[in-house]
Amino acid sequence: MTVNGAGRPRSTVGVSGEPLWLLGVLAAVAILPALPFINNFIIAAVVRALIFIALGQAWNVVAGIGGLLSLGHGVFLGIGCYTMGILFNHFGLPPWFGVFAGVALACVVAAAMGALTLRVRGVFFALATVSVSLALVQLSRHFVDLTGGADGLSLKFIGNSLWVGQSRTPTPFLYAGLAVVVLYYFATRMILASSFGLTMMAVRDDETAAAAAGVAVFRTKLFGLVLSAGMTAFAAALYMQFYMAIDPEAAFGLSQAIQLQLPSLLGGIGTAIGPVIGGAIMIFMSEVTNWGSTKIGVEGGDILVYGILLLVVVLRAPQGVAGLFKSAIVR
Amino acid sequence: MTSLALEVVGVGRRFGGLVALRDVTFSVAEGEIVGLIGPNGAGKSTLFEIISGNMPPSHGAIRYFGADVTGKAAYLRRRDGLCRTFQKVRLFETMTVEQNVRVAASQCLPSGRSLASEVDDMLQQFHLGDLRHRKPSELTLADRKRVEIARAVAGACRLLMLDESLSGLTHDEAHRLVSEIILLNKSRGITVVIVEHVLSVLAAMVQRLVVLHNATIVAMGTPTEIANNPLVIEAYLGSQGGALT
Repeated sequence: MTVNGAGRPRSTVGVSGEPLWLLGVLAAVAILPALPFINNFIIAAVVRALIFIALGQAWNVVAGIGGLLSLGHGVFLGIGCYTMGILFNHFGLPPWFGVFAGVALACVVAAAMGALTLRVRGVFFALATVSVSLALVQLSRHFVDLTGGADGLSLKFIGNSLWVGQSRTPTPFLYAGLAVVVLYYFATRMILASSFGLTMMAVRDDETAAAAAGVAVFRTKLFGLVLSAGMTAFAAALYMQFYMAIDPEAAFGLSQAIQLQLPSLLGGIGTAIGPVIGGAIMIFMSEVTNWGSTKIGVEGGDILVYGILLLVVVLRAPQGVAGLFKSAIVR
Repeated sequence: MTSLALEVVGVGRRFGGLVALRDVTFSVAEGEIVGLIGPNGAGKSTLFEIISGNMPPSHGAIRYFGADVTGKAAYLRRRDGLCRTFQKVRLFETMTVEQNVRVAASQCLPSGRSLASEVDDMLQQFHLGDLRHRKPSELTLADRKRVEIARAVAGACRLLMLDESLSGLTHDEAHRLVSEIILLNKSRGITVVIVEHVLSVLAAMVQRLVVLHNATIVAMGTPTEIANNPLVIEAYLGSQGGALT
C-alpha cells in the first residue's frame, strides 16, 4: 500500500508510464480482425470484455475514487438499455439519440437517489442502490407493453446499418468498445489528477476531515454518483447494441451488479488501469469456465469462479492486480 | 481598534440528559493566541465541534468576525478561513502529503491566487518539501501533525483552532511546532485558539487562557493569573498546584 517512494511522481493514479504499454495492447486489439487466425467468436469475446471494462470504469468512479459502495449499479445500465430499446422499438429513434436520453434519465435517477441517501453516512446509500434495483426488476416486469416484461426487450433487427447502430458481425463493436474504454481510461486519469478527483478521494478517506478542508461533501458525493451513472448509461449503449436485448435480470439482477463491480475489484479499485485489467481477466475467466462447464455439463460455473477469484484478490492482493504489478515494479 | 475574530455567546449543548456545555461565553480578538484548557470531559471537544460547525449548539450563537455563523456548514466556515485540526490526527491516508494540502487549497483559495504556489508555500513553510510525495502512514507523528496544520491553513485561514496539536510530541518537537504556530500568527496574522494539555509549553505561547470545567467556564486570564487562581488550581489541577509554570 505504501509503495510510493520519495522520488516517484504523484501517483495514486496507477502504474507510472502505463499509457504506453496500454496503448500497445489496445493497438493489438484494434488489429485483431485483420489477423488470419482470429474469428468472430474471439472478436465477440473481446467485445464483451470491452463492454464490461467500460461498465467497470464507470462504477470505479463512484466506488473506487469516491468510496461510495454502489451495490446496484445495474440500475443505470438497465435504465440506459431500456430507454434506448423502448425509444427505438416504439418510436424508431436511433441509438445515437436514444443513448443521450438514457444518460439523462440515469443522471436524474442518480441525483434523486443521491439526494435522498447521501446526506447521511453509513450503509443507507448502499442499501438504497439495492432496493432501487429490486424495485426496477418489478417495474420492468410489470409494464409488459413497454419493456417486454420478464422476457425482456429485444431490439428490432434491421441488419447492417450505421444509422441504427446494428451489425451482423462483432467487428464494429470492437472499435466502438475500444473508443469508449480509451475515453473512460483517460477520463479517469483526468479525474484522479483534478481538484474534483482530489475532493472525491478526500471524502472517501474521511468525510469529517474533508469538510474541515473546505470540501462540500454532499455535493461531491452527489456529483460523483451522477457522473458514474451517466458513464454507465453511456456504456450501456454498447451493451444494448451488441447484445440486442435486455431483460430485468440482466439489467437489475444481483449477478449483473457483481459483474459491474468485479473489474475494478480484481484489477485495482480507484485506479485508472484497474478496471481495464480486471475486466479483461473477468471475461477471460468467464469464457474459459463457460467452455469448461459446457464440457462437464454444469451451469453457472462462471459465478463460482468469480467468487473464488474475488476471494483470492481480497485476501492476497487487496489493491488488485494493478497493485501487485506496482509493488513488483517498486521492489 | 482590534476586531473580534470569534465570539462564543451563551453556547450550551445537551446530549440527552447530559449537559456537555452550559452557557459558555467568551471572545477572541483578532491576532490573539488563546489557550483553552480543562480536564477530560470538561467540554473542550464539544466546544471545538460547535465552533467548527460539525455539531449544532442546543442554544447560543457563534460569531466569526462579527457574522453569525451558528447555522453555517463546516465546509463553508472553512472556506471563510475558520480552520481546525483534530485531536487524533485525521489525514487523507491514501493521498500524498502534497495532495492533502492541495485539496484544501483548491477549495479555499480566493480566486486570482495560484494554487500551485500556495501548495508550495505551505509545504515549504512547514518543512514538508522533501516529504511531499510520501503517504501520511510513512511519516512521524510530528510530521503528520505538521501536514494537518498545513492542510488546515492552506488557501485561506483567519482563525486556526488546534486540538491538542502538541500532545504526543517530544519536548523538542513540541517547541519546534510552537515556534511554527507563533510564526503563522505573526507572519500571516492568523488568530489561534489552542486546546492543550502540555501546559508549560502553552503558557509560553498564549496571551490568554480560558478554563473549562464541568461544562462551563470557570476562569479566564493571562497564564500567570490562571496559575495563581485558587479556583483553577482546585478544579483543574486538584491538589497538584503550581504545575502550570
